[in-house]
Amino acid sequence: MNEIIGMFQGLMMGFGIAFSWTNLLFALIGAVLGTVVGILPGLGPAATISLLLPVSLKIASPVTSIIMMAGIFYGAMYGGSTTSILVNIPGEAASVVTCIDGYQMALKGRAGPALGIAAIGSFIAGTIGVIGLTFMSPPLAEFAIKFGPPEYFALTLLGLLMATLLGEGSIIKGLIMVVLGLLLGAVGLDPISGSVRFTWGFFMLQEGIDFVTLAMGMFGIGEILINLEKELTTELVTQKVTHLWPTVKDFVESKWAIVRGSFIGFFIGILPGGGAVISSLVSYAVEKKVSKHPEEFGKGAIQGVAGPESANNSAASTSFIPLLTLGIPGNAAIAMIFAALLIQGVQPGPFLITEHPDIFWGVVASMYIGNVMLLILNLPMVGIWVQLLRVPYAILAPIIVLFCCIGVYSIRNTVFDIWIMGIFGVIGYLFRKVNLEPGPLILAFVLGRILEPALRQALLMSAGSPWIFFQRPISGTLMGFLVCFILFQIVRVLWKSLGRKA
Amino acid sequence: MGKWRHPGPGFFPFGLAIALILLSLALIFKNSKKDKIPAPFWPERTWLRPLLGVAILIFYALVVERVGFVITTFIFLVAWMWVIERLRWWTIISISVGTTVGLYLIFSLLLEVPLPAGLLQW
Repeated sequence: MNEIIGMFQGLMMGFGIAFSWTNLLFALIGAVLGTVVGILPGLGPAATISLLLPVSLKIASPVTSIIMMAGIFYGAMYGGSTTSILVNIPGEAASVVTCIDGYQMALKGRAGPALGIAAIGSFIAGTIGVIGLTFMSPPLAEFAIKFGPPEYFALTLLGLLMATLLGEGSIIKGLIMVVLGLLLGAVGLDPISGSVRFTWGFFMLQEGIDFVTLAMGMFGIGEILINLEKELTTELVTQKVTHLWPTVKDFVESKWAIVRGSFIGFFIGILPGGGAVISSLVSYAVEKKVSKHPEEFGKGAIQGVAGPESANNSAASTSFIPLLTLGIPGNAAIAMIFAALLIQGVQPGPFLITEHPDIFWGVVASMYIGNVMLLILNLPMVGIWVQLLRVPYAILAPIIVLFCCIGVYSIRNTVFDIWIMGIFGVIGYLFRKVNLEPGPLILAFVLGRILEPALRQALLMSAGSPWIFFQRPISGTLMGFLVCFILFQIVRVLWKSLGRKA
Repeated sequence: MGKWRHPGPGFFPFGLAIALILLSLALIFKNSKKDKIPAPFWPERTWLRPLLGVAILIFYALVVERVGFVITTFIFLVAWMWVIERLRWWTIISISVGTTVGLYLIFSLLLEVPLPAGLLQW
């Protein structure tokens, strides 16, 4: 009982912080920026937050800057649907499946209801996700205080494997990206012995590769280079979006899709390695399966828009839970917020809620407010944002590249970092050409700094016996889960190849 | 590298290297079974525009400290929009001027990032 009272007191304090003029302003800036990058294809929330990381220190206090970055992250989930529906290009990775039925609805002149149901579904699901964040985080953090190195090792390993195995594309390629990310994370001083690793004689590499430099190169520059290959021209389906409000019939048809999407997103968001992208794919599959008219999917079924768009928002909110309670980011965009906290001198982990209650409750409360702001930004004002799609990529691309250059330069005031970013940009471009996704690499880079010390400390504790990971109850459970998961995947692959031969 | 009992700095990277070798072998093995002709890596000169982009970025990194932020940024924008995108002249000039001034105002004056002054030292 006392705990529940504590949570409400915390939430009240959080609203006190979030309702200050500065924090309201930065929540709004975050929501607007998120909507904008969500709408613009080729610029996602992860890249945008990494662009803002170097300046975040200079802008404001930790609470304020995290409020803004969180706003960018969940705001992009709102904006992404707009481009998917109107242009048939996902504005954002989590809106890929929205293209299928959203664009079909637009072709039939129902762009308005599609946009409307996406925004309303996003709002409902986003709010459900934040409620989960509010009430599940404190008990989870308390539980996680007992975690030692073996538990952290098991948990991060589980997160990394789930992120690659649940993601799209080849599992082998995903695992290769994870290993490369872990290796890149090992550059610089060894955290335990202090000896220098993989610096190739460059003094500037002793501090390790900066996370921002790597992310901007891989996401920012790499994405721009691949987009330069094809000349991006965006064509709007409808010049004017009319009748934004879905009809009563639309609501009746999509209400369960929104509820199901919310809960699918809720649970997939909490999973290590889960997140908005996966949850929207799962939701679409579920909607198609439960529908009485599965043949309508792909031809403009409103449930195919309402479900995934709800799921990605709910997942965006709940993916803050592992970050703020365990200190483990589950996906690339959340990894950026992890980095932002570190830059501000705040260590994300089980002690965050007790040591920095202002940050935790302030950010959580701002997310309730941010969702209301985004509903207003995306329903009546959607026409304004659509105009953004008229800004040609030809103008946007060089400006984004410049932003990246200034951003990395400003961290240490050295051109060396621009070179490093450029090199990673070219690598990121080539990776994309051979279908290697940079997301798992970035996640592994961040998690490597938790994984490696945890592994080595655990082995020190057990005097070299790897059984320590299986003997302790919590890490044993996690490892058991991990083994089951791997076995399941192996069986699935074998099953498939057997089926092909037969 | 150390031992299991006392893992040293090379322990983790060594393990990763082994994993990478195994994964690469798995990928080679998997792809060797398909005997289809791979699609050309850069069909129809699609390498040209990304290459130009990289060249302009290299130019920027080489020059920005000596010549200074304002001039190099302006040249960067003009080069990108002219060489890669072939936009109209008045568009290029107005956007380059506007962006250079805007970036300078945001980063130098508002956020107080020390940008290289270069030739324009006053």
